[in-house]
Amino acid sequence: MGKSKKKKSKTPEQQQYAQFEQKHEIKRPVVRNCVVAFLVGGTICVIGQAISYFYIYFFNFTEQTAGNPTVATLIFLSMLLTGFGVYDRIGQFAGAGSAVPVTGFGNAVISASIEHRTEGFVLGVGGNMFKLAGSVILFGVFSAFVVALIKTLIMKWVGV
Amino acid sequence: MVKKQIHPIIRLFLLLISIFVIFSGCSTDDNNANSTKALIQTNNPPPSTINGNEKDQKLVMDVKKKVMSKKEVYDVSVIKGEQDILVAYKVRHLKRFRMKKIEADLQKELEKEFPDEKFTISSDYKIFLESIRLQDKINNKQIPKEDLEKRLSEIIKLSNEKT
Repeated sequence: MGKSKKKKSKTPEQQQYAQFEQKHEIKRPVVRNCVVAFLVGGTICVIGQAISYFYIYFFNFTEQTAGNPTVATLIFLSMLLTGFGVYDRIGQFAGAGSAVPVTGFGNAVISASIEHRTEGFVLGVGGNMFKLAGSVILFGVFSAFVVALIKTLIMKWVGV
Repeated sequence: MVKKQIHPIIRLFLLLISIFVIFSGCSTDDNNANSTKALIQTNNPPPSTINGNEKDQKLVMDVKKKVMSKKEVYDVSVIKGEQDILVAYKVRHLKRFRMKKIEADLQKELEKEFPDEKFTISSDYKIFLESIRLQDKINNKQIPKEDLEKRLSEIIKLSNEKT
């Protein structure tokens, strides 16, 4: 209903333009994008699992504690790859497959730093480093706080 | 002269392979044939005791039989020390969603069946790997009992670590 209302409010020129646009618009290869994102994201996760096993096997980390150094290693590797200009190409090829895993976080930090490098180290790099990743950290910390609060209250009242 | 560029994906794989090769050098030399593939394949090692007396041997056999009777579990290692019994096991992949419940049930069942014993049970791969390594050392019979006991208490301490 809303759509038809919107259509009605368009002027004849706008409708004509919409038709013209629809005719020339290149269709997004959604299926191809999904498959590539799945494969590349999966490969990154396999690498993460291998790093996790590496820490379990050669160092004194359990399955539970190996998560922290694994995440740190993956972020560090993606930061290096971003600096060398490799991760950008992987990002162009894989889309969400490279952005959604934790490696995308490292990429977001370093690419923002590189972008603002010309404005100086303090106001440029320091001020803009967390332009993209800052919201991720804030949202993560805040949602963890809310979930912990809910869990504490439930445990206190229900005693589960 | 045109310089041939290496494809970035190939460059990435080369980097990862070189990292793997460099870190492979970190392997310690105490890995025996049993423990090298402990994380990948099913080992099902015979239960061990540090003291090696018959009564304890029978007890650990019974413990292993009890743990193996659970259908969610497929690979069990049992080691008995002076006071503690370490039970490390692997959970079938699709049953890993209920890992905490399986652990709690198993602890309860073992304590009910063997009320005089103190159990430490863990489904962690690291604890399983370390218990296989310790069993290799027990079977070698070259390390004094005190050291084996100390290693067992270290593994138990590691299994209680949360962060």
